[in-house]
Amino acid sequence: MGTQERLEPGASVRTRVREPWVTVVWNDPVNLMSYVTRVFQEYFGLPRQEAEARMREVHEKGRSVLSSGSREQMEVHVQAMHSYGLWATLERADA
Amino acid sequence: MRAFAARDGAAVAALDEDERLVIARIVADVGLLLGGESFGSAPHSTLPHREDLAESLRFLDELADAPAEPDDPALLRLLPNAAPREREVADEFRRLTEEDLRATKLARLRRMWEELSQDSDEWVVPADHVMPTAAALTDVRLVIASRLGLESDADAEALHADIARAGEAMESDASPEPAIDPERVWLGMLYDALTWLQESLVSVSLGGQG
Repeated sequence: MGTQERLEPGASVRTRVREPWVTVVWNDPVNLMSYVTRVFQEYFGLPRQEAEARMREVHEKGRSVLSSGSREQMEVHVQAMHSYGLWATLERADA
Repeated sequence: MRAFAARDGAAVAALDEDERLVIARIVADVGLLLGGESFGSAPHSTLPHREDLAESLRFLDELADAPAEPDDPALLRLLPNAAPREREVADEFRRLTEEDLRATKLARLRRMWEELSQDSDEWVVPADHVMPTAAALTDVRLVIASRLGLESDADAEALHADIARAGEAMESDASPEPAIDPERVWLGMLYDALTWLQESLVSVSLGGQG
């Protein structure tokens, strides 16, 4: 069995196992669309159009998944969102 | 009141003394809600008194207890539940982050309060403080919104209808029918003013912030 064949499927499985949590940002009637867009740009480093698309998803669908990864990483992101005054939660990716 | 606009690399708004006083007061109230010391009290610059020291060390007693979810819905909106479906995850998150979050929010509110307490009609926000100031304005608006029961877009529309009705009644010197709580109108107008200020602040384009 070649090294590459052995590693690739393993790597993708490991990635899934290592990223079982997501950061969800929820809609609320207080946060401004312009502000939420800037938070997504500033904190997640998203280009403006992408940040706007995520903001619209939050606004229209009620929520958007902004990041996935370990529980510890998601805790950092959720804390940052709370710091900005956005309503965010962490949940299991398969929930 | 004049909205924020760019000038010399900073965002600058104009507020008269009454406007600054009203906003500074609600900013200080939110600071108290977060458990901060009263804004305006002198920071400890000398050696603490024995009582102060005991107070400072009280956290040692509290280390064992994880902070509980706030009962006040306004405070809960500032320090939200991070995992409503998983109590253990939410508690752990609160234990790890709540103190930091409170400190961050309090520091931003205090700075904003100090800026509003200057004897100047101009409110100057340097480029690197645009987002912290916008975040502090968000916290104040979240608290007012909670007090006004704004939980959905429909609630916000109902508030605006009430404010408009109160305004029309005032112009024609009549009482609005059905009656509207004057406190709701007053808080609602303050909320709208802060929303308008925040919108202008976030929209100001200072070099490199796209």
